Parts: sequence; C-alpha cells; structure tokens
Amino acid sequence: MAGIFDFVPAIVLLPFVSFLVALAVGNRMPKGGAFAGIVATAGSFLLSLATFFTVSQGQTYNQTIYTWAQGLDGAVTLEFGLLIDPLSALMLVIVTLIALLVHIFSLGYMNDEGETGLPRYYAGLGLFTASMLGFVVADNLLMAFMFFELVGLCSYLLIGFWFREPGPPSAAKKAFLVTRFGDYFFLVGVVAVFATFGTAAFAGSESFPHLAEQALAGETSVNTFGFAAETWFTIVGLLVLGGVVGKSAQFPLHTWLPDAMEGPTPVSALIHAATMVAAGVYLVARMYGFYALSPTALAIIALIGGFTALFAATMGVVKREIKQVLAYSTISQYGYMMLGLGGGGYVAATFHLMTHAFFKALLFLGAGSVIIAMHHNENMWDMGGLKEKMPVTYYTFLSGSLALAGIFPFAGFWSKDEVLYETLIHGLGGSPILLVAYAMGLLAVFFTGFYTFRMVFLTFHGKPRSQTARDPHGVRWNVKGPLAVLGVLAATTGVVNMVPVEKLLGIKGIDFLHQWLDMSLDGLTAHHYAELTPYSSAYIGGEATTVAIGAAVSLGLAIAGAGLAYVLYNVPEPTEHTDKLGGIKTLLYNNYYQDEYQVWLANSVVRPISRGADKFDQGVVDGVVNGVSSVSLFSGSRVRRIQTGVVSNYAALLTLGLTVLLLGFGLLGGWFQ
Amino acid sequence: MVPPEYYLVLSAAIFCIGLFGILTRRNALLFLMSVELMLNAANINLVAFSYVWGNVTGQTFALFTMALAAAEVAIGLGIIMVLYRNFGGVDVTDATTMRW
Amino acid sequence: MTTKPQLKLGSHLVPGLAAVALFVVMAAAFLTASFPQVQGFPADANITASIGYAMFNLDFGDVPSESFLVAFIVIAVALDVALDGTILLARRESGTAEGGLISDGGRRLKQTLTGSETDETEGEN
Repeated sequence: MAGIFDFVPAIVLLPFVSFLVALAVGNRMPKGGAFAGIVATAGSFLLSLATFFTVSQGQTYNQTIYTWAQGLDGAVTLEFGLLIDPLSALMLVIVTLIALLVHIFSLGYMNDEGETGLPRYYAGLGLFTASMLGFVVADNLLMAFMFFELVGLCSYLLIGFWFREPGPPSAAKKAFLVTRFGDYFFLVGVVAVFATFGTAAFAGSESFPHLAEQALAGETSVNTFGFAAETWFTIVGLLVLGGVVGKSAQFPLHTWLPDAMEGPTPVSALIHAATMVAAGVYLVARMYGFYALSPTALAIIALIGGFTALFAATMGVVKREIKQVLAYSTISQYGYMMLGLGGGGYVAATFHLMTHAFFKALLFLGAGSVIIAMHHNENMWDMGGLKEKMPVTYYTFLSGSLALAGIFPFAGFWSKDEVLYETLIHGLGGSPILLVAYAMGLLAVFFTGFYTFRMVFLTFHGKPRSQTARDPHGVRWNVKGPLAVLGVLAATTGVVNMVPVEKLLGIKGIDFLHQWLDMSLDGLTAHHYAELTPYSSAYIGGEATTVAIGAAVSLGLAIAGAGLAYVLYNVPEPTEHTDKLGGIKTLLYNNYYQDEYQVWLANSVVRPISRGADKFDQGVVDGVVNGVSSVSLFSGSRVRRIQTGVVSNYAALLTLGLTVLLLGFGLLGGWFQ
Repeated sequence: MVPPEYYLVLSAAIFCIGLFGILTRRNALLFLMSVELMLNAANINLVAFSYVWGNVTGQTFALFTMALAAAEVAIGLGIIMVLYRNFGGVDVTDATTMRW
Repeated sequence: MTTKPQLKLGSHLVPGLAAVALFVVMAAAFLTASFPQVQGFPADANITASIGYAMFNLDFGDVPSESFLVAFIVIAVALDVALDGTILLARRESGTAEGGLISDGGRRLKQTLTGSETDETEGEN
C-alpha cells in the first residue's frame, strides 16, 4: 500500500532539488531562486504534516531504503534508512515550518535589501534544509553523522555568505573548525559503535541501544575491548557527545556560535537557533536509550548543560548587539535542553527543543526585522523607541521574549519549568550532582529574564537614540507574516504539555507530548526511557507541592530578572550600568576570555606539539627516506665503477666468481671434513 | 685403460691456460687463440666421457663444437677488423665505450 | 736476425693468478671425485662410421648414440650465418671513407659534431 511513508524521502529531496535549481538556474529566475526554495519547503512542510498525522494514528516506520555497502561474513553493513517515529515526525514539522518561514522572511531581508549572490544564498538554504531533514529521518548513526557533517558544511557556506568582508569568512572558518573538533570525537564514536555492536541502527531489536541494554542485563555479549560493559558504553557515549557539544554549542565548544552571527540574520534564525544547533540535542534524544544506560554520561550531560546555561546567560547580560544577546541566549537555552536530557527529562528536553525552536526563530527574525529597520546597525544603544514605529515586530518580539524569559503562560515557561522540575525531582531522589546542575539552571533563569528584557527595553522602549531609530526603514508582509505565525506559536505552544496544570489541578490527559512520545516504536518510548534512566524521584512535600514550588521559584526568578531590567532600562534615556559590575564587566565583555584561552591553547600547546611533529616528520621520517635514496645513489655510483668496459676485467671477474662458486659447493659438499 | 681423472685434469689444464691467456693478454687475436684452447679443453672432456660411457654422442658433440669454433672465429675476426678500424688497433683495453 | 720469444714477466700477469686458482680448484675437484667403471668401445667397432650414422639418424652404427640430424642442420645454418656476418662486418663501404659498421658508441660522431677532442662521458676517470 502506498502510504504517506512512501513519500517521506521526498521531504528530504524537495529542498535538495531546490538547491540544485537555485544553483543551476537561480540567476535566470525572479528573486534569485527564492520561489523554488519556498515551493520546495512548503511541499516538505505539507508532507511533514501528513506524516505527522499518520504517526498520530499510531503508525511508525523504520525501513532501510538503500544499502551502500553490504557487509560479507559478519562485517558491518552500511545503509541509508528512514526512521519515522513521533520524535522525528515532530522534528520534521518544526524544521520544515521554520525553513519555510525563513525562506519567506529572506524575501524581505535579502531580496528587498538588494543583496547580490542570491542564488548562492538560496542554494545554501536549500541544501541546509535537505541535510537537516536527512539527519532527522536517519535510522542509523552513520547516516546521521553524514548529514550532521553536511549540516556543518552548509553552516560554513551560509555564515561566510558575505565573504568579501573580513568578519564572515573568519567566523565561518571558526564555526567549521570548532564543530569539526567535536565531530572528530563523534566519528570515533561512530566507529566505536560499529566495532562494539556491529550495527548503528537506532531502532528495532537489532539496534545498538537495545543490544547495549541486553548486554548490561547479561543476555547478550558485545565486544567491549576489555572494559566493563558500562564503562565502555559511557566512553562511547561521551565520544558521540563530543559531536553534540560542538554542534549544540555547549561549553567548551560554544565559542563559534556568537561569531556565527556574522551570517545573514535569517540564516542565524534557521541554523543557529532553530535547527542546526538543535541537531546535537536531537541526536542525544534520538539515541537516548543508549545514554540512559550510563549514569556517568547522563550526569556529565546534565552538568555541561547546567553550566552552559548559566555561563552563557551571564555573558549575554552585557552585550551591545542585539544578535549577540540572542546568540548567548541560544547557547544558554540549549544548555537547558542538555540539562533536561541529562536529568532524565527526555520529554521535557524535547518539549523545550520544540518551544525554543519557535520562539528563538521568532526572536531572530524579529531581530532581523529590527536590523532592516535600522539599516543594518545592530547596536542596541543606537535603537530605542521602535515600539511605535513597528508594532507587529514589537508585539511578536515581545511574545518571543516572554517565552524566552519563561514567563507564564508563554511556551518557554512550560518547557523550561518542566526541564527544571524533572532535574529537581531526580536530583532529590538521590543524585546530588543533578541538584548542582539544577541550581545553575535556576540561577540562569534570573539572568535570562534580565538580558531578555534589557534587550526588549533597549530596542523598543525609551526614546530613539539615533537618527535611524527616529526614522526606521519599513518592513513588508514577507517579514511580518513569518513573525506573526511564530509569535502565535511562541505564545501558545505550551499547551501541548501543561504538566504543571495537570499535576496541580488533577486534570488528566493534557500532557499531550508525553502521550505523543509514548507512541513510538518499542524501545523508543518515553516510558521505556524513564525505566532505563538510573534516577528515582523524590518530592518536597508531595508531587503537587513540588511542582508548585519549582514553578513558583523559576517564575519568580524570571520576573525578578525582568523587573531588574525594567528598573534599569525602561526609562526614556537609559544608560549603561555595566560599570557597576567592576572587574566582572571586562571579564564578561571578553566572554570569560574563552576565545583567548582557546587561542592560547592553539598557540602555546598545539603549535609546539605540531612543530615537534613536523620536525619529526621532516627530520626522522623524511630523513630516513632521503637517507635511503642518497645511500643507494652513492653506492650505485661507486658500484658501477666495476663496469670498466675492459673485457679482461670481466673475464677476471667471471673466473673469480666461478672459482668461488666451486669452492663454495666443494666446502658444502664435504671437503676438508 | 686411462682413468677419466687424467683426461679431466688435462682438460682443466688446457682450459686454464686459455683462460690465462685471456686474462693476461691485450691483443684481440691472442684472445681468439685462447678461446680456441678453451673450446678444445671442452672437446677433450666430451671425447673422454664418450669413451667412459661407451657411446659416440660425446664425440659427435665434439665435432659440432669444432664447427661452432669455426663460426666463432669467423665472427671474431670480423669483429677484430671493425675494432681495428674504429680504434686504430687490436688492443681490447682500448675499446671501453660499452660501459655504464 | 731472429729473436727468440722471451718470457715477459710483470704485473700484467697478476689476473692470471685467477686462472691458476681455478685450475687448482678444478683439479682438486676432479681428483677427489669418484667415477663409474669405464666401459670403453668394443674392439672391432667402427667409431667413425658410427658418428656418421648418428649425424643422419641412421641406425647402422656399431656404437649406440643419440640422433643429431636437427643439430646438424642447425650447425650448418649457424656456420652460414657466421660467414655472412663476417662479410657484413668486414666489408668496406665503397662510398664512405670509414666504411663498415661504426661500433664506437658514437664517440666519433660526437667528436665530429661538437669538435671537442676530449671524451666527456661521465665518470671517465
């Protein structure tokens, strides 16, 4: 039966076709190939919706569609396949929707602004969308890795879109190299998974999470290279996590993301907020059955997440450029997702992934709208008072900001609160390390509220602080439309998973996302993951009390942060208050000297090592090779001297040779014995 | 009945005399003569073993060797003529162009 | 006045020591080896006739032998070739001053072309 699942490859291929079209004939098309991209992503979006509804009927799909290396005699088989379960269906809808909106927004941001090189831009967007979708539907780790790399490549191409200016190419290179550093570990992890389990499939009875589970239960045995099974699974999990940390911009590989803001703003919205950075978190969610087996890996994920959330939030507090604030908030929010995953809140993290995709795309597009209006001046201190001039942007941006800050009842509140709640109850249930991560996450809520509203007030409130802000450039429907769609979504997405309401008021059955993620294939359901995780839950008072306390505390902190911003910056003539921070100000402006530290690492540690390696290569390896050649050249030039050309010498040599041979045979044959 | 060892030692002696000539002389004509000696040393062996085995194959071979020696001398003389023409003499140590 | 041949001793005889050494080794080998019983020929056998028959694969000889017809023909051809080859080598070309084959490795041609008398072949020392 030709079901909707037969069309799933088309979801991936449509944007790829638009990439080819934009590349080949984009110059001869109106709008530089934008319409091809819009049509393709719209088609993908519709197909994703259809897939989504089919999945909601309880159907799933796990099929190999192409075997590109058949393993003989027990060797591994390399395949491309599709895995459509509630998680990937949800992600498909998110990615295609945001890609579609970003394509439309690009009409306003790129075409209307008279940018050149548009076919290249739309080709990059198309290829990026295709790669991300391929990554989402991948049914095995190797395929996921390949699309992961493609996503990284597109990120490089799009960040460096304005390659004639000095900043973007450098930022593109940095993004590429830093994520590649993480992907190196990912690749080693992929190989380790193949070597251990002989398969890299995500789902099914022959999948590696399932095999790992059985191996821990002693039902089957896998090659663990001499380690205890759990230790080895932790090592493999952490290797793959390297790629996640790079791609999802977690500490210490987060430094590329703020620089990546050099790219066009729609690209920032698509790649560095909603989708590509989500790839890392999505990968952890995809193979959560594997991570859930290792308490150490989970604890490390939670700690990285909590620390990154706090760390990035503090850096966002002092930034002057609107996109920089958003960049650090992105890092911080992905920290929350990692915190949720590490804290055993699989559903919570997925929930936050979804809501964040919407509200962060919204914020970036809103920032893009502001940047159009400000004639590409991104400094918030030159803005102010834009509220009256661009109401659509203001209200949608406000919706996104409320969601980001986690203010009730916007989407971000529900998801962030659930992440923190899950971490809290599991931390109380005997995992003190989660409580540390929880504390960091909670503290970050305050900073989030502060920097978010500092940004809002500086941009939209007060009096205009520059001539441009007094007379901003207008924006058209193609900017306002996507903003409106996302603004509504950012405000309302929370309803899909109102767990606190369910717990407090006792209304059953409104935790739709929990139910949704439970419909997956065997072994991929949220319940199964909950059983696998090593955590137990404990509550303060009772379940409802804990929910109430957790929500109240985080909401209170968010409002406190927003309130502080209100006091400091919601005045007609706001001034910089960063001087009050004293020495910390410099530290924050310089991002905790992370870049300097990494440059120092590269210059003072890596460079001498590579210099030594180079010396070894030039001296020893090349020396041996050159030595062999010069020795043979020299000996050849000497040995050839016996070829005198005088026939008597040849005869003498022949004679001597024959004599020696005869003597040798004679001695061997028993003379003088 | 002469034991075969005697023939063999005689043949070795003649062969080595021919070889001695080749190793110590520089005149191409003397080379040819020395080669003749060496070939005839081989002939002595052939005839001797023909007698040992009671079979005329060796003797027949000796005849063939003589025929080939004639051919060799013919070619050798031709080469010596060319040598003389190109190098102005029959000293074999002059003709050293066919080396490395 | 006739001159007697004189024994010319000198360092040019040194390579001959190799021939002497070879003789010593071979003589040692022969004298220590053991040989089968000598069979000899029958007293009334006609050896020459036997050789003649053997060369033409005829089976009339008194003494056994292999058959050598093919070898005989091949030797005949080889002699012919040797004769032709000699004539080819020795013939003086009528048109040229040099004549015959030039087999000096191109030395004379090089001298003619470059005008240099020295042989510049590498490693000539």
